[in-house]
Amino acid sequence: MGAYIHIPFCIKKCNYCDFFSLPLGDQSYLDKYTQALLNEIKIRGQQMPSVQLESIYLGGGTPSLLNGKQLKSILQTITNEFILLPGAEISLEANPATLDKIKLAQMEEAGINRISLGVQSFFNDELTLLGRVHNAKAVMETIELLHTRGWKNFNLDLIYGLPGQSLDKWMQSLKQAADCHPSHLSIYLLQLEEETPMGKDVADGRLKMLNEDDEWYMFDQAMEYLEGKEFDHYEISNFCRPGYECRHNLRYWKAEEYLGLGAGAVSFKNGGRFMNEPHLKQYVDTLSTCKQWPVKELERMSERELMTDALILGLRLCAGIDLNQFKQRFGVDITSEYKEIIAYYRDGGLLNIVNGHLKFTKAGYFLSNQVLCQFIA
Amino acid sequence: MQDKIRNFSIIAHIDHGKSTLADRLLQFTGALSDREMREQFLDKMDLEREKGITIKLQPVRLKYKARNGEEYILNLIDTPGHVDFTYEVSRSLASCEGALLVVDASQGIEAQTLANVYLAMDLNLAIIGAVNKIDLPGAQPDLVKQEMENVLGLDNEEVLPISAKLGTGIEEVLEAIVERIPPPQGDEGGPLQAMIFDSYFDSYKGAISYIRVFNGSLRKGDIIRMMSSSKEFEVAEIGVLSPYMTEVESLSAGEVGYLAAGIKNVKDTRVGDTITQASEPADKALPGYQEVKPMVYCGLYPLENNDFEKLRDALDRLKLNDASLFYEPESSDALGFGFRCGFLGLLHLEIIRERLEREYDLSLLATAPSVVYKILLTDGSEFYVQNPTHWPPAQKTEQIMEPYVKASIMTPNEYVGAIMELCQEKRGSFVTMEYLTSQRVMITYKLPLSEILYDFFDALKSRTRGYASLDYEIVGYETSDLVKLDIMLNGEVVDALSFIAHNDRAYYRARAIVEKLRRIIPRQMYEVVIQAAIGSKIIARESVKAMRKDVLAKCYGGDITRKKKLLEKQKEGKKKMKQIGRVEVPKDAFMSVMNIEDD
Repeated sequence: MGAYIHIPFCIKKCNYCDFFSLPLGDQSYLDKYTQALLNEIKIRGQQMPSVQLESIYLGGGTPSLLNGKQLKSILQTITNEFILLPGAEISLEANPATLDKIKLAQMEEAGINRISLGVQSFFNDELTLLGRVHNAKAVMETIELLHTRGWKNFNLDLIYGLPGQSLDKWMQSLKQAADCHPSHLSIYLLQLEEETPMGKDVADGRLKMLNEDDEWYMFDQAMEYLEGKEFDHYEISNFCRPGYECRHNLRYWKAEEYLGLGAGAVSFKNGGRFMNEPHLKQYVDTLSTCKQWPVKELERMSERELMTDALILGLRLCAGIDLNQFKQRFGVDITSEYKEIIAYYRDGGLLNIVNGHLKFTKAGYFLSNQVLCQFIA
Repeated sequence: MQDKIRNFSIIAHIDHGKSTLADRLLQFTGALSDREMREQFLDKMDLEREKGITIKLQPVRLKYKARNGEEYILNLIDTPGHVDFTYEVSRSLASCEGALLVVDASQGIEAQTLANVYLAMDLNLAIIGAVNKIDLPGAQPDLVKQEMENVLGLDNEEVLPISAKLGTGIEEVLEAIVERIPPPQGDEGGPLQAMIFDSYFDSYKGAISYIRVFNGSLRKGDIIRMMSSSKEFEVAEIGVLSPYMTEVESLSAGEVGYLAAGIKNVKDTRVGDTITQASEPADKALPGYQEVKPMVYCGLYPLENNDFEKLRDALDRLKLNDASLFYEPESSDALGFGFRCGFLGLLHLEIIRERLEREYDLSLLATAPSVVYKILLTDGSEFYVQNPTHWPPAQKTEQIMEPYVKASIMTPNEYVGAIMELCQEKRGSFVTMEYLTSQRVMITYKLPLSEILYDFFDALKSRTRGYASLDYEIVGYETSDLVKLDIMLNGEVVDALSFIAHNDRAYYRARAIVEKLRRIIPRQMYEVVIQAAIGSKIIARESVKAMRKDVLAKCYGGDITRKKKLLEKQKEGKKKMKQIGRVEVPKDAFMSVMNIEDD
């Protein structure tokens, strides 16, 4: 099992972000939230004390806003309430502007062994456009610090396809990121939801997205470059040094169960997806006063739907889906069940079957929705 | 009894306030309480209320206590006001003794209204003129009254000024109906003759017919005979619409009502047929309606191939109360099995298609509409083509003819130049021009029907700021230099996209259509090459570049549910496409190729 812990606070919300987070005004609120979170962990630990955790992922928001004490209490409580397996991956998402030597030492002490840095770009004009609170210099300093303290397992997030971005500038950011020797690189095509500030700017014509040919070319060039640098391309948007896949995220794509802790966090268990109360005050109040776990069911899947979920998630992985394993797990032979669809897209050069694995071709990744939507019931 | 009955229609142009006036008459006579009232009550279809037009006539019976102290029964038979439906207007008018002519006080008489009034005059109906919307700032009731006198010979003193919206003059209208429309003159004791002027299918009662009894009378339990087929049925229920269905004991000469006789086969209640008593039949039928011929044809295909039978059933049902609808099965290489359907015009086509989709839950694809061409073959035989796919090869054709119309356009005189220019562009030839008043003109042109079908009406409205109105009638076939244009996707001719064009304009149209298809066909897995050809000669080419991006950048635990919804939506979108070979074509593409803005 893996646990995701949501820390829904940011110094300032980024212009492109549609994740659930709030600007943190009052530092003391983080304490209240932490207390509620600890309550949730205790309640759920009591419900299922024998859960063995292979991974913990602190995401947000900006989990690096937590101070050492808060972080420590969260991980300590988890260790007390569940079974934390030896060698478990414990990741934390951090904003480069929020890390310093002391913070890093506290994280190390709390048990964090993987850091994911929201770099996004190495150019200040692009960072300003995105509304990030850090600048390129802060990124370099933070990475320097990681190196000094002996960190090997860290990820850098990058965004490409920004309005006005040239291929050249994107590749410069990417090269600079690779030169920082991260164990992991996530490169995300900018996709804006309409309610975000940037989304509105695009809708109103103040910003213009790149055309899809340019976006595809940026992706294609990035794949080629990172391959040359001996990164494994293991998921549509994710690359890593051999053996450094994000184990927690792999759970999602392998359609394995996970626990979501914190306001708005989603759990997947026993064929259902459940979402914790997303409204911060409600979440905190329910847990602090009533000592109840505020959750509602998002969706309950039939055996068939669980199977299609596993299919569309599994195909995000470059290794694809092991057809034998899949058959054992769901009793369905994909190649006969979806014979026509597979034949059509194999013919079209988007899908392939190699060594008993159904997977996208390189040309297929960027057109994956064309195929995936065909598998939806 | 009959002297207390008045049967009347309302003739009005779209937007001149006919349905609103009908609403007021319902309210004033107490047929509906304020609570039951909603706008455009007699427009039963949602489609009509949405479009703000009346398509389907809907009879209603009103009780009115006149100023003379007597109570009268007024049967209102509403009429549609669009050129496509002239035929239905005549159905309504044939069941009436009078007509209420409603003209907008700021617009004046429109060409279509004029045509309908002439129809009414031909049937010797008493005409009551009314000028509506006198409350509006731009109203010129006196000018319009004068126009009604000049053009139609109505006494301008007798034209009633009203505002249906405000309810002004409604009582005067009702009084005029009582005083100026003659009562029916049928023979109550004679053999039954009742005209079916409309019908529809009810899943419980079977076919319901709206009838006007001309002679004799009809009771529940009577055995009736359809005079066209001699088929007999027992009357299960008769009643009136006041406005809801209300059963009555009998209907006799002069009355209007409905009839149900457990008729299961929709073809057994043909609109225009005469009903008589089996026991004492009339010796001849009432003059029926003229069989109307469809003007425009298109193929209708179910997007889901197995919906073919469902589509047939739906068409059967719609045909019941729409004699003008024509259909026969056909097949297309690109689209599979469907129907070639004939319509009175494009509005009719659009309405039938929408009704099929909404009321029968079908998802349909319509091919480009076409008129009926007449072709003389080299072997001397004559050949009618409703489907461009059947166009004969050039070496086998001797002469090609297309239908022409005489179009009457009424307009303020300042737009004469613009209208003449438009008609010339559309291959028209000038016939006459006459002044109706010092400011209003009627221009007559002869035009190919195919030219006015597509976007003529819109062009006319935009070039005259909506002031000109159009009416037309078919005048026959004339020789024309026409060619068949084929559209190819990735080298394959898509039969459903073929259409006929005038040789002089074929190149221009080909370019415009290919360009339009480039815009409406979305990028897909492969490049799509779109070409237009006459025979084997390619005259236009465009291409849609292959799709490059269709991906979810992120998909993690918290948003799987939402991302799945996006994929579901995308799958829904794919259902609106027709797969032709390897190309996904939006289902609207077939129709929209015809709506190409000229120049």
